[in-house]
Amino acid sequence: MTRKYSAVTAVAVALAVALTAGCGRDSAGGDDEARSVADGPATGEITVWAMGTEGEKLGAFAQRFMAENPDARVNVTPVPWDAAHQKIASAIAAKQTPDLSMIGTTWQGEFAGTGALDPTPTDLIAPDAFFPGAWDTTVVNDTAYGVPWYVETRVLYYRKDLAAAAGFPTGPTNWDELKAMAKAIQASGAQWGINLQPGKTGSWQTVLPFAWSNGANIADDNGYTFDSPEMTEALAYFQSYFTERLAPTELAEGALEPAFVRGEIGAFVSGPWHVGLLNEQGGPDFADKFAVVPMPAKKSATSFIGGSNLAVFKDAKNRDGAWKFIEWLSRPEIQVQWYADSAALPAVRAAWQDDSLSGDANLKVFGDQLADAKAPPTFPTWEQVAAAFDIEVEKLAKSGEDPATVARTVQDRAASIGTGN
Amino acid sequence: MTAVDVKSAAAAPRKVGDRPAKRPPRWRRAVTGWAFATPFTALFLVFMALPVVASLAMSVTDLRSTDLRNPLAVNFVGLDNYARLFGDELFVRSAVNTLVFVVVGVPLTMVLALAAASALNSGLIRFRALFRVGFYLPVVTSIVAIAVVWRFLLDPEAGLVNNLLRLVGVDGPAWLGDTSTALPSLIVMAAWRNFGFLMVIFLAGLQGIPQHLYEAATLDGAGRWQQFRNVTMPLLRPTLLFGAVVTGIGFLQVFEEPFVMTQGGPLSSTLSVSYHIYNQFGFGNYGYAAAASYVLFVAIVALSVLQFRLLGERD
Repeated sequence: MTRKYSAVTAVAVALAVALTAGCGRDSAGGDDEARSVADGPATGEITVWAMGTEGEKLGAFAQRFMAENPDARVNVTPVPWDAAHQKIASAIAAKQTPDLSMIGTTWQGEFAGTGALDPTPTDLIAPDAFFPGAWDTTVVNDTAYGVPWYVETRVLYYRKDLAAAAGFPTGPTNWDELKAMAKAIQASGAQWGINLQPGKTGSWQTVLPFAWSNGANIADDNGYTFDSPEMTEALAYFQSYFTERLAPTELAEGALEPAFVRGEIGAFVSGPWHVGLLNEQGGPDFADKFAVVPMPAKKSATSFIGGSNLAVFKDAKNRDGAWKFIEWLSRPEIQVQWYADSAALPAVRAAWQDDSLSGDANLKVFGDQLADAKAPPTFPTWEQVAAAFDIEVEKLAKSGEDPATVARTVQDRAASIGTGN
Repeated sequence: MTAVDVKSAAAAPRKVGDRPAKRPPRWRRAVTGWAFATPFTALFLVFMALPVVASLAMSVTDLRSTDLRNPLAVNFVGLDNYARLFGDELFVRSAVNTLVFVVVGVPLTMVLALAAASALNSGLIRFRALFRVGFYLPVVTSIVAIAVVWRFLLDPEAGLVNNLLRLVGVDGPAWLGDTSTALPSLIVMAAWRNFGFLMVIFLAGLQGIPQHLYEAATLDGAGRWQQFRNVTMPLLRPTLLFGAVVTGIGFLQVFEEPFVMTQGGPLSSTLSVSYHIYNQFGFGNYGYAAAASYVLFVAIVALSVLQFRLLGERD
């Protein structure tokens, strides 16, 4: 018995010693210097992880890169989105990373914070080629740790026929018009004037565009700044759609599209994937019945920018090859070809000059909106703060919480969570 | 342990040389024994003991996902994580939700299971095998399939439940969308999903009660209810204890139901402790989440002890 206990004690003591003596975080922040990449074509094997549709299609697409760089071999591993965060985190912990990986924009702060990502060699890849909001998602503590690959943003979808009958044939342009249109559409028989996500995961992507458009800033270099008069005003405006019963507080999953097709909902805020969804559900004629416009303006018409970045790991075996592959993927003509293959919107601005993008009326709206779109701060704790924000948004929409209280509560939560830097 | 055995081994051979060695010496038997046990011991230490000890150590540090590359370069924070837990509004909320889930859900499941088992055992019901399969089916069905079906049932507009209520003139609530009905809905669903398993256990327990006790009770003039109270219940107590402990552990760790049905909403009214822990791990707060896991572990131990006290053997 005693021997057994002494063994346990020994392990515990060893651990305690390891924890107290061997540990303690170095206070020095990772001031990484970007190293440049050697000239010449890429060589050797380049291992890539990519998620979703991109993961499925990139392997075949990379054949074109290998044709230009005969000594290089690109090896793409598709990773399901659900498993991706965990897989990348485990790879970082085990120092067994691929050379580069696709990374969700909101993960950038966390993974860069581990010190696992290689700073972007900006002499190879020029920051101003990209949408500024997209480039910002790669920048953590003033250093870029990746390159935007594709983007998405939020715009306003509306029913052309209902809006025309309500007196807004080309859609609303500012907050007052949006409110008036929602009211008029509801008055003429639609069940709901508009749908705005009333809380739950990701609702911040609908709410923050209103806050940004009203001049609110949710973070500065030192931390989160949710509690501002501009934020409160935007939250009050958002809440008014629920208190005036213009928007539903409860909409079952998958109920939005059929209701919009039937004309029971006049408008909603969403991303580019809804164009395809609506065409699929509405049938061939429905494409004429809806349109998109940029987010309605207040002080500005700023939307949310999301998408995915590409990042190279410090533990990469073929760092130079990886950056060369990313540089190739960032060329405007390659971005256009990639759009044709995967329907992912290009992050490179010059790619939008191409007819396949600028020729489509809906896409043009997305292109315009991307020029004025913001990303949330790249603090490692952003996902947690966003979840807290979603909870408060739900209170705002469903239980009539005071907007000023919501702004203050979110700020308290965010302050206690901290930036994680 | 082994260190001590090796020491005695050094002294052993001389003694053994004196007399004919019939049995191998003690140290050799120990070595042989450990050799046979090595595969298990090694696996146990590496895959069970080490993670448990590591997670306990983790819970007294501020380990976050940004420390992944240098997991030892973290600060020791003592019981800070535990103290913070009880000031965390969401954790307290999830603890209350979980408590309600257990306090209402466990008895409800046991009563349902006992009723079904008694009915099947008494021969009241024809097609007994069919019912047995029917009641057990939810236990072996995937939670995802169950969630889809229940979401249809509970849909405020098109759902079967509200349509039936409408027939009798009642306007049913949005079951999963209303903060006051979401948790009760999940409790009913969990009870429905789990009682089949307990029913099978209880049925076995009921069939283990000797028939002659019932005959004696009948001769003494005991009615059905009296027989149930004075013969069935006391003899079924060990089975009930098992059922209560197993169900209690399962319900304290409730995760799947809110995860697939409500994602913890509306307004966190169905957030459970396990779900909160899952979220915290997802946010990368490894130290904090580990501390929450240990609080849940202590709660499970406490509940089990309580159940043993209440339902266990009495001298």
